[in-house]
Amino acid sequence: MRLPVIGITAFIIGFVAVHFLVLNALPGRIMSTARERIGGQVPLHTWQMSDRITPQTQTIVRPSPDLAYAICVIDLSTGPVEISVPTWPEYGSLSVFDANTDNVYAGSLDARLPDASGARRILVAMEGQDTYTSDITEIVTVDSPEALALIRRLAPSQGLYDAAAALVPASTCGPV
Amino acid sequence: MKIVSGLVGLLLGALLGVGTALAAAGMVGQGISLGGKVDAGGWHSDWTIGSASANPWTRARIARHGLLALNKDEAVYFTKAVDDAGDRLTQSCTYKVSGGAMPAQWWSITLYNASSYLPDNSDNALSFDLTDAAGAGDTGAWSFTVSPEEAQGGWVSSNNAGNFDLTLRLYKPDADLLADPEATLAPPSIEKLSCGEVT
Repeated sequence: MRLPVIGITAFIIGFVAVHFLVLNALPGRIMSTARERIGGQVPLHTWQMSDRITPQTQTIVRPSPDLAYAICVIDLSTGPVEISVPTWPEYGSLSVFDANTDNVYAGSLDARLPDASGARRILVAMEGQDTYTSDITEIVTVDSPEALALIRRLAPSQGLYDAAAALVPASTCGPV
Repeated sequence: MKIVSGLVGLLLGALLGVGTALAAAGMVGQGISLGGKVDAGGWHSDWTIGSASANPWTRARIARHGLLALNKDEAVYFTKAVDDAGDRLTQSCTYKVSGGAMPAQWWSITLYNASSYLPDNSDNALSFDLTDAAGAGDTGAWSFTVSPEEAQGGWVSSNNAGNFDLTLRLYKPDADLLADPEATLAPPSIEKLSCGEVT
């Protein structure tokens, strides 16, 4: 094979391989950093209310200052995790993100919806884990043990933020 | 000689691969949007945000600039970084943002700097939302001012923002919006009112 052909072929192989290697590794790396940053002072499987969002308290990109956030860092390596979160009189959601940053689940916490109960309950598990020991029927499946659960509640005032924070003790996030 | 040629090609390709991946993800700059694009009057979105169907470029860019974004059934995100004339949004100018009813249960418009963070100021004027529009009297015809100094009426502060963008969040979007965003969303206008020196 002639020298230029060898060089160009190697260049293309190197470019494509490294481009996709880096591209596919970035979300997991960023998520891992976020888990450390958010959950650094928080034990696993514990709902932690974020400070009211301001330029001085923001820890991740593009937070919404109109929402009250609470987060639970999940590790499924020892089994599924049950989550129970009270509903909210305004817009609200419970969401789950996998280690690759995909939003694998989003459920409403809006108490005004016709099918709303007092709380939303989900079971987060990896494929193949035993989910039959829980009575929860809404099951969220992820590919790897690391995940994040996030509560968003519409709370544009300090009073509403305080009301959202008062619901954290009534929220659960832990192994079955 | 053949081995040297191959190694040099491999190294140069790898270097370019790292650089283009970081640029596409927005680790340097704003990133590159490929596929799934929605453009409603210059407000850009991507319906694959947050979903497993996102391509690797979108997933990496959102991880960098919109981590923990919800999927489109729960929320959609539109961003615009230029005014109606196509000029870059910057804190040295004052803008009037106006719009009408939004096809969603709740909405907000928030200002972010070029690094995708809230601007470092203490003005407590970071966003304008449906609650503000209702408070002003008409959720079907609302407006607010974006400027570095406090303005009368609705105000979002660009103080210390440098070049910035506005992100429109639509929570629980209507089915019509998801089916045909360009025809359904009446895009808010961003009118430049004046420009001056930043103090």
